Amino acid sequence: MRLKYEKPVITKVETGFMNKFGSSPLYARKIRKDIDGVSVEELVERFGSPLFVISERKLRENYKRLMQAFSSRYPNVQLGWSYKTNYLQAVCAVLHQEGALAEVVSKFEYEKARKLGMEGHQIIFNGPYKPYEALKLAAEEGAVINADHFDEIFELERVAQELGRQIKIGIRLNMDTGIYPQWSRFGFNLESGQAMDAVKRIASGDKLSLNGLHCHIGTFILEPEAYAREVKKMVEFAYEVEDKFGYSIEYIDIGGGFPSRIKLKGTYLSPDVLIPSVEEYAEKITQALYESLRPGDFPKLILETGRAIIDEAEYLITSIVASKRLPDGRKAYVADAGVNLLFTAFWYKFNVELAQEASGANEPAVIYGPLCMNIDVIDEGSMLPPLEKGSRLVFSPVGAYNNTQWMQFIEYRPNVVMVMEDGSVEVIREKEDLSDIERRERLPEKLKLK
Amino acid sequence: MIGVKPHLKAVLNSYAEVLFIQRSPIIGFLIMLLSFLNPSVGVGGLVSVLSAYLFARFIGMGRAFLESGFYTYNALLVGLSVGYLFKITPLTLGFTAIAGVLTLIFSVMLYSVFSYYFRLPILSVPFVVISSMLYLSASGYSNLFVGNLYPHFNLQELELYTPLWLSGYLKSLGAILFSPNVLAGLLFAVFIFVFSRIMFFLATAGYYLGTTLKALLVGSLDKAFMDINNFNFILVAMAVGGVFLIPSLKSYVMAAVAVVVSTLVLSSVKSFWAAYGIPAFTLPFNFTSLTLLYVLGLVNFPMVARYIRRTPEGTLDYYLTYTRRFRGTERGIHLPFSGEWTVWQGFEGKWTHKGAWKYAYDFIITDAEGKSYSGTGDKLGDYYAFRKPVLSPVRGRVVKVVSDLPDNPVGKVDKENSWGNLVVIYDERGFYVELSHFAQNSVKVKEGDWVEVGSFLGLCGNSGYSPQPHIHVQVQTTYEPNSPTLPFSFVDYVCDGKFFSNFLPKEGEKVQPVHTSKHLSNRLAFAIGNEFFYKVYKKDKEVGDFTVRVNMDVDGTFFFETDRGRLYFGRYEGTFYFYRLEGNDPLLRLFFLAAPRMPLTEREVVWQDYLPMNVSLNYYQRAMLLFLASFNHKVFSTEYEGKILQEGKLIEGKVISPLAKGEAPTQVRIHNALGFAGVRVGDLELRLEKFSLGGENDA
Repeated sequence: MRLKYEKPVITKVETGFMNKFGSSPLYARKIRKDIDGVSVEELVERFGSPLFVISERKLRENYKRLMQAFSSRYPNVQLGWSYKTNYLQAVCAVLHQEGALAEVVSKFEYEKARKLGMEGHQIIFNGPYKPYEALKLAAEEGAVINADHFDEIFELERVAQELGRQIKIGIRLNMDTGIYPQWSRFGFNLESGQAMDAVKRIASGDKLSLNGLHCHIGTFILEPEAYAREVKKMVEFAYEVEDKFGYSIEYIDIGGGFPSRIKLKGTYLSPDVLIPSVEEYAEKITQALYESLRPGDFPKLILETGRAIIDEAEYLITSIVASKRLPDGRKAYVADAGVNLLFTAFWYKFNVELAQEASGANEPAVIYGPLCMNIDVIDEGSMLPPLEKGSRLVFSPVGAYNNTQWMQFIEYRPNVVMVMEDGSVEVIREKEDLSDIERRERLPEKLKLK
Repeated sequence: MIGVKPHLKAVLNSYAEVLFIQRSPIIGFLIMLLSFLNPSVGVGGLVSVLSAYLFARFIGMGRAFLESGFYTYNALLVGLSVGYLFKITPLTLGFTAIAGVLTLIFSVMLYSVFSYYFRLPILSVPFVVISSMLYLSASGYSNLFVGNLYPHFNLQELELYTPLWLSGYLKSLGAILFSPNVLAGLLFAVFIFVFSRIMFFLATAGYYLGTTLKALLVGSLDKAFMDINNFNFILVAMAVGGVFLIPSLKSYVMAAVAVVVSTLVLSSVKSFWAAYGIPAFTLPFNFTSLTLLYVLGLVNFPMVARYIRRTPEGTLDYYLTYTRRFRGTERGIHLPFSGEWTVWQGFEGKWTHKGAWKYAYDFIITDAEGKSYSGTGDKLGDYYAFRKPVLSPVRGRVVKVVSDLPDNPVGKVDKENSWGNLVVIYDERGFYVELSHFAQNSVKVKEGDWVEVGSFLGLCGNSGYSPQPHIHVQVQTTYEPNSPTLPFSFVDYVCDGKFFSNFLPKEGEKVQPVHTSKHLSNRLAFAIGNEFFYKVYKKDKEVGDFTVRVNMDVDGTFFFETDRGRLYFGRYEGTFYFYRLEGNDPLLRLFFLAAPRMPLTEREVVWQDYLPMNVSLNYYQRAMLLFLASFNHKVFSTEYEGKILQEGKLIEGKVISPLAKGEAPTQVRIHNALGFAGVRVGDLELRLEKFSLGGENDA
């Protein structure tokens, strides 16, 4: 075999400590030739590049692992699938099949869940802005509504008046659980007494009845103990409310925020060391429940875990379209996927895998996206071997927030496919073309060019 | 008039009771009329039973005791026997009345002694004793005999037209009530047949078996058929085969044995008693039946009826339904964990559940491949069960805690402290529950703590005789860790999507506890005085109104009541049951059919139940099938399958009857506040209009 030509590069000689993993940083590389047994090359051939690939098997596995961790410790656990994390219909449908409720935060998401076939009572309606009609519809259809502020309580009272019956609602709390920054913009503050004021207001209005508590302490929380503090405070508050006002608190919704296994920018330790397992969260949370709940009382524990379920079940395949050498000597590549598709690139140091073998020594490289924008960087620096144009890279995890926060900006959005459990591949969102983007545009007659 | 009716019933019931026909004043009345074919007998019986009854009232015996005729039928028999001997005169009437009172007091005393010391019924022992006494005493009362003996009215003409084998049977049957004639016998046979086919079968088969055997011994068929004392065979067969044992092949065999034995007793009694001028009366019947019943009770014969209903058919239906519907034990405990676990070892398991410790369960967690660990399985942390919460399976007091033993490495066991770290809880139902193999220092309760079902006890570990982390649970007689175990069962769990109210999962089955929904149990928490007003629809067309009231029986059981019947219901752990239907209200029956039991959970589970025949079948079907079922208990059953939908608001079911083709779909809707908002079976439907809390709740 003829050896390939490789451009000579000058690399700093690094001596010193042995790498305890035994591999040289110059030749260590991560290769992923297939996703769930379907080769990357075949996927690109059939569906183009870039390409989002979701593994149905992994998605179901993640759901089951989370539920198993909790339900083997506490008898009354329910997952509300956080739509905003990923509301592709196929993703939601898989999780609903597994038994998750829909957790929505807007009129749009509410409508989406209903259209997918979820009944009103299978939807948890959160969020700081719920338009009046949406609120009324949700109340009529029996959705679980968690009120965010006093104005919403007043509106819900109006709804109750109009419907001529009492409505059961939950309220959203915010509290100090030792996590910085403390999310205080959602719901009623616990420590200041605002939350109790809200309950008093609900009781004095007598049009609503309180049956649940909700709280979301933050995102990518790396400290299980924070949830234990959250649960303890919520249960104590629940009993105070039950004893003072005679309400029965049927559910304690502890929100989401469990991390996925990915390195955040600015962290030093590897995710394997830094990120607690779902088991650890489950143990701390259920232990806190047993310590604060009265014996024999098992209010429903609702989890709104999004990221920890979907993130690692999705990959992005991207192709190198060009390479160049930067003035500082680093190698740079231009890929066909940028921050238009990878919103989480702003926080994540993705796991980048090669879809094919590559020879040559690794060198520091930057990967840029295709946008004509300075900020379009999807990897700020990895050790990569020399890559030819047309090489494929697999970015992961990309399941959380990218398929919802991506944007049509400069480029079209690509196909999203799901590798099904039986090994077949289904397109679950077709790639866009011009008509999708211009469908809502109206060109005034006199501006028409021909 | 209101005051007279129950008294009248009580007196009439005594007549029917002699033929084991219970609470049938109409049949009682007819039998009384028949006894007047021979006016002396009729009057004698009536006077005696009335005097006994009045005396019982005079000494303050409650109506409930007397209504059944239970205490007074002996007095009736004595009266009949006196009337049979003497013509009615003021003197004999006085004599009879005294006899009635004597019989009553003797009956009451004997009942108390028999039920307390022997757990036996008195049958007609008082009659045998008192009548024998009277016959003996009368031999000295010359004044009674002068002119008081009389020729008997026997309907000889009828007998001429009846073959001997039949007239012998009918006369024997009549002789039970001192009317040894063909007409009375024939009518008694009809009464028995109408009341119970099983009883009729027993009476007939018993008579012919006993008589044939006697004929063989005596050597003359004619002589055997002429002996009216053969009525003892009839009584023995009915009592043993149908009343005190559950009608079954076993009870029939036992009845045959009893009849065969009683032939000897009868012959011996006759030879001996005759010397003193006393007839055998029912002595052979009493002697044989009571001896046999006592022995069967002593050896715990499985077919001894624990709940004797009005008819043998009723007893059988109750038994079949009960054994099919309520399969667990009275020591029902909850599963001691949360989520889905696998039974590793059950009762009399192949490893350690043996001998005095055979009633125990071990649970582990397994994955889809059946493994109990992930990774290599050589560290405790690899095991799914390790450090999972162990929850209290009962409510009770913690009486013993061990928590300081180390967790063994995988595959090693601690033979010195077999039970490892443990918690023993005393359940006030009268037993101790021991949970074992907790993780070191993980037990969070201490001796003296009160725990509820589901209270956190500690974490699953690997201490004691435990090769891999698992939860061991057993029910035992004392608080000592190694005390002998007792049988128990698990309540409220799901296995393979199916809900079990009280049962035992098999080894390898995956089980998950179900916790009772507070909502649903509140919605089905009925109180005395609640009233529900329904509209009745047939094929969606309104056809009438229907109202049920909630009421409570003296024993504290609740029932729905209408003018035509009662539907008993109740809750056991996490299941709402309809227990039994009394009376004949076809609409009340709908409730039972639509949901004979309801798990109080919002989870979508399915479950199975069986319907008693008096709910699922009409009178004639029931009469036929129960008679057949008495020969083979497995012959058929009416099954019910239910399913919870819409978070417990809707229950859909189907009734699978052996007689009807296909399945009858049923539906029950639970009201948001209280009770059943709708009940539908086939095209019949009840829709709730309104309800009132009523009773004490009216303010």
